Amino acid sequence: METIIFISMIIITVFFEAAMPFLVRKTVVFGVTIPNKQVNNPQISTYKRRYSLLVIIPSLIGIIAYYIWQAANNIQADQVAIGGTVLLFAILFWSLSLYFYFHGKMMALKAENKWEAELKEINITEIGVRQKDEMLPWYVFLIPIIITVGFLIFTATQYHLLPAEIPVHWGLSGKADRFTKKTPISGVSMLLILLVMQIMFLSINSATKKSGIKISANNKHASKLRQLKYRKYTSWFFLLTSIAITVLIILLQLTILYDNIFSDHLVFLIPIIITLSILIGAILFTIKLERLNRGAEGEEQDTKEISSFDGDSYWKGGLIYFNKSDPSIFVEKRFGVGWTLNFANPIGYVIVFVPLLIIILLSIIE
Amino acid sequence: MMYIQINPELEMPIYEQLTMQIMIGIIRQELQNGDVLPSVRSLAADLGVNMHTVNKSYHALEKKGLIQIIPKSGAIIRTNNGIPTQEEQGRISNSLKPMIVEALVIGMKEKEITGLIQSIIHKLKEE
Repeated sequence: METIIFISMIIITVFFEAAMPFLVRKTVVFGVTIPNKQVNNPQISTYKRRYSLLVIIPSLIGIIAYYIWQAANNIQADQVAIGGTVLLFAILFWSLSLYFYFHGKMMALKAENKWEAELKEINITEIGVRQKDEMLPWYVFLIPIIITVGFLIFTATQYHLLPAEIPVHWGLSGKADRFTKKTPISGVSMLLILLVMQIMFLSINSATKKSGIKISANNKHASKLRQLKYRKYTSWFFLLTSIAITVLIILLQLTILYDNIFSDHLVFLIPIIITLSILIGAILFTIKLERLNRGAEGEEQDTKEISSFDGDSYWKGGLIYFNKSDPSIFVEKRFGVGWTLNFANPIGYVIVFVPLLIIILLSIIE
Repeated sequence: MMYIQINPELEMPIYEQLTMQIMIGIIRQELQNGDVLPSVRSLAADLGVNMHTVNKSYHALEKKGLIQIIPKSGAIIRTNNGIPTQEEQGRISNSLKPMIVEALVIGMKEKEITGLIQSIIHKLKEE
């Protein structure tokens, strides 16, 4: 069972890592901006294919080796998990190294062919674009928070019902297998962590909403529509994930309060269903984005212009966005799906790292 | 609504480019009396430029009497009735003078100068 979970997780990761150069915008290859005319350059296509093959082949060998290792040695479940995690991180590290290798190759290719001269820095926006933004307002994210606070108060009034040993970890069978002593904090620590996560979703949503709606000068109209949809989907994804986690944690807290409220099957199934739906949601989100990218690229015009958002100088190693002038907190990733921090803006660090610190602190106090 | 394009590689400072673009928008009637410009923060984020730059541009436009700044929410286009005041005309005349002096001193004829001005006006109103 563990082996299947790990192998499918690793296969999904390998798939996305290998497909990455084909999922992202064609004008930014391995974090290097290229002129529109060059998107079908044979040398670049070779680089992309070589990258994918170099990700896939060693990963497949690794997966097969992992499978044989655990089948031949009759290994314990936790060792299977450790082995799987090591393999996963090895693959991530390997693809990151390959990324940097091809990033360097692309920089050299760009310098060699003097593509710099064909690229013009243009910052562009539309005056009325903010009115078309469909990101959810911050107060929608209050709904799960209010439910959690209410449940927190309810748990406090039912404190006497909590068992002397509070479960902190559930095994695959759905039975709790690790416990901690009952204290006012450990009794509700799961709800507190939930609260921190919900507040994190709320602030990430607000920060993304405040961040720039980036339009590309190459294809103003299509890239604008794409950005607006991207922001809308992101916002909904955050909200639905926040709600899904809330349902999961509250159900677990209920099983602590009332021992036999749900059958063991249900306690076993619900976390899997919720985790799976978040995963499927993430995959659907990626597929939708991929379609958006294709739609946007169809309209690409052959101009020499390029938006300054593409400006390579602000992207360290093509991966890290560092722009002191830009008040944006989050910007869309150039290699990969999702958002990344503007590392020049300290507010971003606060939003991402403070909640993590609080969660770590809470688990230490336990 | 109109697009705003900034080219950071040009000699003209970014805030002046922004001021110009908004004024051109008003000339072409893409921006009309009562239209709302985005807040300084969001325009800066969307353009990827410093907030001070946008702020400077908005204040320049306010000084020219073209927008009214509403703290925290944005700025509203306030075009006058199309009749420039004596004072405004004086200001234009003062800024135009040095350029005309330069044009004459390098030997441009009066006709060439008026022709140049006409072609600039045409270009601005077109598109």
